Amino acid sequence: MATNRLVQQGVKQVKPLLSVDRTEARRRVLNLYKAWYRQIPYALKAFNIPVSVKRAQDKLRELFLKNKHVTDIRAIDMLVIKGQMDLVETANIWKQRTHIMMFFKDTVNPKPTDFLSKFYEGQD
Amino acid sequence: MASRICRLIRPVTTTFARKNGLNTLSGLQQNQNFLKRQSSTTGTTKQPTVATRNPLIRKSLTDFGAYVAECLPKYVQKVHVLFHDELEIMIHPDGIVPVLFFLKEHTNAQFMNIVDIAGVDKPTLENRFEIVYMLQSLQFNSRIRIKTYTDELTPIESACSVFPGANWYEREIWDMFGVFFANHPDLRRILTDYGFEGHPFRKDFPLSGYVEVRYDDEVKRVVVEPLELTQEFRKFEANTPWETFPAHRLSEGNEKPTAKPEEKK
Repeated sequence: MATNRLVQQGVKQVKPLLSVDRTEARRRVLNLYKAWYRQIPYALKAFNIPVSVKRAQDKLRELFLKNKHVTDIRAIDMLVIKGQMDLVETANIWKQRTHIMMFFKDTVNPKPTDFLSKFYEGQD
Repeated sequence: MASRICRLIRPVTTTFARKNGLNTLSGLQQNQNFLKRQSSTTGTTKQPTVATRNPLIRKSLTDFGAYVAECLPKYVQKVHVLFHDELEIMIHPDGIVPVLFFLKEHTNAQFMNIVDIAGVDKPTLENRFEIVYMLQSLQFNSRIRIKTYTDELTPIESACSVFPGANWYEREIWDMFGVFFANHPDLRRILTDYGFEGHPFRKDFPLSGYVEVRYDDEVKRVVVEPLELTQEFRKFEANTPWETFPAHRLSEGNEKPTAKPEEKK
């Protein structure tokens, strides 16, 4: 009995956001990825984005892999929810070109990392 | 077993409360009328314009709070009346819909209007977000505040099934604090721009934000870039730079005035 109680204390019950277990969370992520993947050609055409489909797909993959370290099911769900809202905003063309181009960051110059280029930039 | 006993006891207690008449808000109207008559006879007064405390209203609010706590013992955690006769009810997050439904539909409450839903961020607490529901009862000319709590990842039940007007308020809380409302009919951003990342009302969100927006003439559109501050936030000391009373100087390092070591010399 005592061990049972200890185990119950150890496993903290949390309210699930959407998914109950890891497989469900994984399925949601993959579904979202597929939905975005299928939306890409239409979005590029609708917003007249000067980016090839291949590059947009690579960017999508990069953005998803950016969060691959997240293991908490509820954190994954929260990211999926936000990604889903983003997809809806894109698909309904509530966004504008600016907002789509925010993913690509084409005007942002990467910060110098090595000593000489930092020196050229005038950064200490 | 315990729930069965509760079920047996509760009707008895509620009927007792109704017979007393004091435990409900219906006594409030008479009290307010009584006070209005009192104040109209006083004429011009030279008292400072501070809100006066009203013991009668306070009493009826206290009684009503006790009545609510008695009716919903499963959800109500704490009830208190603030200094200016404002009733606050702290509830468990599971009980949002039942408590709101009770306050809306109960004959002696009739809080039909939802005035606002607010969020408070207290990063030091385990459940860092406090959600505050403000209701108004036109019937009894009374207001009530219901408080509950959650953290970043725990969903909260949406109040839209009880108050359809809560829709936009909850969207605002979702947008500003990132609290997810389960079963909300249309949860999406309301105040921030599309593609905005982060939740601005969280205490850990910097005042300047993470990005800056400007029009770029080369690409002929608005571009969003990571923010670069040319100058760090500086710490300004409000003390005078001239030592007027060095012995009684109070700075951040020494809490007490440095008078004692000088006396030794």
